[in-house]
Amino acid sequence: MKGNGFSDYSRGKGALYFLGIIAFILALRLFYLQVIDFSYYRKISEENRIRLVSVPASRGLICDRNHRKMVTNRTSYTLFLLPYEAPDLNELIQRLSIVLNLEEHFLLKKIKTGWINRYTPIRLKRDVDFKTICSLEEQNEEFPGVIYQAEKARNYPQAFWSGHLFGYVGEASQKEIDNSKEKRLRLGSIIGKVGLEKEYDDYLRGEDGMNFLEVSASGKILGPLKDKKPLPSKTGSDLLLTIDYDLQIEAESALSKYNSGALVALDPQNGEVLALVSKPGFDPNQFSSVLDEKTWQALVNDPSHPLLNRAIQGVYPPASTYKLLTAGGALEAKIIDRTTTFSYCNGKFLFGNRIFRCWQPEGHGRLDLIQAIAQSCDVYFYKLALKLGLDRWSYYALECGLDKKFKIDLPDEVFGMIPTRSYYQKKFGPGKWVKNLVINLGIGQGEVLTTPLGVAVFYAALVNGGIVYQPHILKEVRSPEGRVFINKKSVLYHLPFSTTTLEVLKEGLVQAVNSSSGTGVLAQIQDIMVGGKTGTAQNPHGRDHAWFVGFAPANHPKIVVAVLVEKAGHGGTVAAPMAKRIIERYLKGKTTELVKEENRSFQTVRKMDP
Amino acid sequence: MSLFKLKTEDFDFKLFVTALLLSLIGVLLIFSAKHASLNEQNLFLRQLFWLFLSLITAGIIFIIPLRFHEIFSYLYYLLALFLLGALFFIGTTRLGATRWFELGGITFQPSEWAKIATIFALARYITYSKRSFYSVLWIGTVIVMGFVPLLLVLRQPDLGTSLVFLAIVLSMLYWAKVPLLFIFLIFSPLISLVAGFHWLPWGIFFFLLIYLLYRLRPVFLFSIGVLVLNLAFGILTPLLWNRLHDYQKLRVLVFLDPNRDPLGAGYQIIQSKVAIGSGGIWGKGFLHGSQTKLAFLPMQHTDFVFSVVGEEFGLIGSLVFLALFFFLIFRGLSIASKSRNSFNSYVAFGLTSIFAFQGIVNLGMSMGLLPVTGIPFPLVSYGGSSLLMSWVSMGLLLAIHYKWTEY
Repeated sequence: MKGNGFSDYSRGKGALYFLGIIAFILALRLFYLQVIDFSYYRKISEENRIRLVSVPASRGLICDRNHRKMVTNRTSYTLFLLPYEAPDLNELIQRLSIVLNLEEHFLLKKIKTGWINRYTPIRLKRDVDFKTICSLEEQNEEFPGVIYQAEKARNYPQAFWSGHLFGYVGEASQKEIDNSKEKRLRLGSIIGKVGLEKEYDDYLRGEDGMNFLEVSASGKILGPLKDKKPLPSKTGSDLLLTIDYDLQIEAESALSKYNSGALVALDPQNGEVLALVSKPGFDPNQFSSVLDEKTWQALVNDPSHPLLNRAIQGVYPPASTYKLLTAGGALEAKIIDRTTTFSYCNGKFLFGNRIFRCWQPEGHGRLDLIQAIAQSCDVYFYKLALKLGLDRWSYYALECGLDKKFKIDLPDEVFGMIPTRSYYQKKFGPGKWVKNLVINLGIGQGEVLTTPLGVAVFYAALVNGGIVYQPHILKEVRSPEGRVFINKKSVLYHLPFSTTTLEVLKEGLVQAVNSSSGTGVLAQIQDIMVGGKTGTAQNPHGRDHAWFVGFAPANHPKIVVAVLVEKAGHGGTVAAPMAKRIIERYLKGKTTELVKEENRSFQTVRKMDP
Repeated sequence: MSLFKLKTEDFDFKLFVTALLLSLIGVLLIFSAKHASLNEQNLFLRQLFWLFLSLITAGIIFIIPLRFHEIFSYLYYLLALFLLGALFFIGTTRLGATRWFELGGITFQPSEWAKIATIFALARYITYSKRSFYSVLWIGTVIVMGFVPLLLVLRQPDLGTSLVFLAIVLSMLYWAKVPLLFIFLIFSPLISLVAGFHWLPWGIFFFLLIYLLYRLRPVFLFSIGVLVLNLAFGILTPLLWNRLHDYQKLRVLVFLDPNRDPLGAGYQIIQSKVAIGSGGIWGKGFLHGSQTKLAFLPMQHTDFVFSVVGEEFGLIGSLVFLALFFFLIFRGLSIASKSRNSFNSYVAFGLTSIFAFQGIVNLGMSMGLLPVTGIPFPLVSYGGSSLLMSWVSMGLLLAIHYKWTEY
């Protein structure tokens, strides 16, 4: 006989005993469920009244870099509908639409999309005011199946419109549930929709709990279900931002005079975002209740696009701010050094049969590189760009990463545009494009585009020794258990410029603000050495866009501010004073008196950038 | 032996009839669970069609000589591994898990095949190798053969089915007469893995382990291996685990089991218990289960099929159902014990173990004794792959019984 044979039954017997014990346990369990607890289960099954009541988790708070609370939670009331208790849904919807001031079809749609089964409450409206709750409670016979529950609503700062930064929260849509990786989302989950609320939803959201209630046939809650412990909710983690609350307010008020624009302030030594504003903004508090069609459509169709976060999603010609790119490329390519002077600037530059004009019609005369940067002489950079050529220009631009996202921790960042030889060949056909395209690129006009964030990050690297840090808004995460996760600075890459090149560029930037003929003199601050660059972007749709990007203190910069104001005119007059205000506020901790600032601008009104 | 003339005295009618009864009960239960639904009323017809196919397949399996499987067992195994591996490249993903091949509307779940193939391969290895419980190489080979498909299935991810592979390895070692304490030692790292989350239970467990090794004194290499693995699992797990963020932990857990939704699973267990408990002694009668009509339990035709038995046929019906199931297991056990061919005996025991494991885990889950793992009830639950493979096992068991005198 092969093998060991199986005349020995000991193992078979052992298995038999084992199975016997299990069969006995299962039978005992059945007896317990079906005989001892029978009446309990029969009652539940006949009345079919198990109500699952979600215990919403408290979202984490959001604080600024100095631990000042920016986003908090407040108690609010949410109205729910329990479908099985509403015999006539149409009638109920009619009555509700009057009390809640919502359209009937909107309520119907809400009920349809929120339907799980007849016994699961459907959220009708969040953040209902107390008066409405009271009146509903008084006439609750008229509203069968309508229940309310305390739920935390988000409290965003009143001091400024923070919609672009924080975003807002709302109910997860079916699409968002399907796309979520973690399967934690359910119909009715409250999640972050835009901004930081969306970006860090995993941290902030926490985990909803669940109460299992036994309910009588008339809908009265009898108490918790006997054999199911409630699941406690878990509070979300708090976020500590790199944003400075005061600076954010300062930035908002600096922009308040203008209709649209953006401002980004960074710490150039680590990429921390100190302030980020986009105008026009929107107040996220208005979404705390219900996102009804009217409000939403009004925002979407607003011609000034308040939902667009211009700081990271608006693309503009960088204008003279990119003269530093041309200069850096030319220095690296050893075409010039800091003392190189080109032929005399008489206000225009003739190439082929086209005239390229300098912003200063009377011309700048003979300038070296430092003065050309300081006075933003267009003719100098036309010539420089021509010498550098398209290929080398776009090589340095791409090496600087100006065509990529900078991976800021906000959703839907947009990247800039750097035209290259292959781009033009695609656009115009091989060989059909002209050499003079690079002339415009040299002064940041033409097809080249950037975002305000892009300019801020580029300048932060120019003045910190060439390191491109990833811009970030999150500083720390603090879990409710007390664990702390620190978002460390991270280096994306280095600029392709040597230390000497960077020194020369920085000197030009300092001269632009501090020499008497510089274009950025309005950014001068007493006792602090400021550097910066103006820019005025041509806008085919109206007035020029004003740029200014500044940094201070010049020897070891602690802040870089990029300001863009749409359709406002010259960068030197419009944007530079705003950057100055932010820098002064950050480094000196105080605001400039407005009167003084305005006096100054009258005296120097003559010295404007292009 | 003639293939076509049935020797009635050697055909296990009891097993065949029990299995057929369970399958037909399954069709009735699916009909009852879905008769009130809007668009799935005809699921029982599909199941009936699959049952028909399964019976034909079982007949073919019954005719194939068992020697054939013995010769090709390693090939079966390699094919199974290949299919499991291929899943990662051309598999179909549903609900975050890649478990199926899809070919023109027909889906096939290779892990069902892998279970049987692994049993064949292990049976062959154990039969023809020089068995030594003290040989690290022998025990290691058995474990590796079982754990390769286990890990592949776990990666899909499918926690429930990967546990079936654990049951296969355990049962094969048991049937190979490896001393029980040895089996315990071999699987002790898995206990460390669980106990490792708190130092106290793990510490106690570890000292127990050292004491056991001291008393048993297996070969040096084996003892060292057990100790090292236990230390590694016990110490590394909490270290790695604690470094993770809450949401990352959740990702790990969801990775292991994509259906992990504590609220959803908890809800289903309550509803299943209410269904079973409300059945009482006599049940509410066929088609009269109210939990079913109101669609409280979305998985009542698959994983929670037993709740229909409990609700509609009560304690009496449930006990009859249990009796049928355990009688089936008992028949399988006696076939395994009776067979004179070692390979056949191992195959029979392995197949019976899968049945027992899946059935018991499924029942425990329905009654709220075990966590929800998503294991269907063999022969009964809705699903083509599961039914077909259950009947392939039946065909094999019947064949082994039929030729029990064959060496």
